[in-house]
Amino acid sequence: MKRVVVSLVIVVSLLSISVVAEKALQGIEREDPLGRKLLYLPSAEMLELTSLGNEGLVADLLYLWSIQYYSKYQPHERFLYLETVYELITDLDPLYHDAYRVGALIMQLSTVDEEGQKQAVIRLFDKALRNMPADYEIAESAGWDMFIRYRDKTEGIRYFKAAVEIPGSPMRLRRFLAAWSEDEQGWTLEDAISYWTDVRDSSEDAYHRAVSERQIYRLIASRDEAVLDPVLQNWKLWRGRCPDDWQEVVDSGLLSQIPVDYFGRTYSIRSESCSAMGGDEVRFD
Amino acid sequence: MRAIRAIAVNTFREALRDRILYLFLGFSIALLASSKLFGILTVGEQTKIIMDMGLAGIQFFVMLIAVMMSVLLVSREVDSKTVYYILAKPVRRWQFLIGKYFGLLSIVLVNLVLMTAVLLLFVGLYGGGFEPRLLLATGFIGVEMAVLVAFAILFSVLTKPILGSVFTLAIFVVGHVSEDLWLLTRHLPGSVGKTLVSVLYYAIPNLERFNFKTEVVHQLPVPMAVLSWALLYGGVFAALVLMLACWRFEGKDLQ
Repeated sequence: MKRVVVSLVIVVSLLSISVVAEKALQGIEREDPLGRKLLYLPSAEMLELTSLGNEGLVADLLYLWSIQYYSKYQPHERFLYLETVYELITDLDPLYHDAYRVGALIMQLSTVDEEGQKQAVIRLFDKALRNMPADYEIAESAGWDMFIRYRDKTEGIRYFKAAVEIPGSPMRLRRFLAAWSEDEQGWTLEDAISYWTDVRDSSEDAYHRAVSERQIYRLIASRDEAVLDPVLQNWKLWRGRCPDDWQEVVDSGLLSQIPVDYFGRTYSIRSESCSAMGGDEVRFD
Repeated sequence: MRAIRAIAVNTFREALRDRILYLFLGFSIALLASSKLFGILTVGEQTKIIMDMGLAGIQFFVMLIAVMMSVLLVSREVDSKTVYYILAKPVRRWQFLIGKYFGLLSIVLVNLVLMTAVLLLFVGLYGGGFEPRLLLATGFIGVEMAVLVAFAILFSVLTKPILGSVFTLAIFVVGHVSEDLWLLTRHLPGSVGKTLVSVLYYAIPNLERFNFKTEVVHQLPVPMAVLSWALLYGGVFAALVLMLACWRFEGKDLQ
């Protein structure tokens, strides 16, 4: 009995000493050169070889490690090897959807050398699209990241164009693409009408058809307003007032018939500015 | 045939009584449970990580069972001289070895099935639903083990248990990197070197031929022809190695 008690005391004492030693070691600051852990990162080929057919698992472990590593507060230099790390992960598992998205997200956190990091994000997303050409979500993510983080509509449009060409991509992507293209790429009204007509014709559900029709309505109304407003201004110059309705304009011979909108409804006349009213100001269900 | 079956059943029972099997099973279940932990640490879909971890864990643990049990069980019979009692009956030496092989393979496959069931359960619990394609990956881990157990039996006949384990482990490692041997032939100058490496490549089983983990995890199609050829390749290789083991065992001095 005595031997058992003595053994137990020794075991507990040794355990206590080891805990104290570990605590003491935790409290001592040590030299920790930045990126030390990353300097000796092996190549993808080497990791693939040593994984014995478990490249996916190695990619997972690196991915998990990178999330923990880049989640901690560290100086900006932590981003030094970020692209290398995600290059490695996606070399090991080229179909790692989440790694591309999260890698790009972490790269966007950098506020130093933004242009350099942006190019790294583009390279990562381009690699994703090469490896997963049927994954519209990657292209959509890339488009949004370019638009929201970097305010780069040109790159955003490039990714959205890639996304809409992928079978099964949702209609909303085409809507965003049209909206951005109108602003960014100097589309004419005719270009925009043609694009939205195409979207409407290829829509498979009522919601997207309705959204497309609304866009077409807005665009055609803008085109018509550009023609009708000078007519109203001429009429006003001639008569000294704004016409009460379109019939007066038709009667004067300036228009051959009462102008109607995309849905066949008569445009209104805004009396204070003496202009045609359509587009966004007209609601329809 | 009856003799082979009797030895196989007996080997299976003997292995079941061995606690090492339960230890491995416990380890594998613990590993699969740790998938949950990794799932928490990740951003995005947990299922991929659980599948990767689970398949790698299954492969690792059944490989350990195959390597350690195969070598131990045959040598134990020889060391304890029980092999004399068996061979004194109307049992041929090759029947003894084939019986041992099937007994050991059965215990490996039973473990594989249990671990696969646990993995399927985990994947189902953590949002992946029922993933029947996992059976394809684990099924071919089974084929890989059939080849590896054959090698373990061969080494148990050729050498001592510890060396046998090391050699079988070496076959597992080299078998997974043998593709690089093939690639090496492109860079070798002269035809002698190329021929030697080519011979070596064909003499060592390319265990990557049974690896369908990536295809299963990423839901990629696997051509039926690939599966059929891989199955044939594994079966033929295991048979060939077993034949060599039987041939060596026939002439072995058991004194």
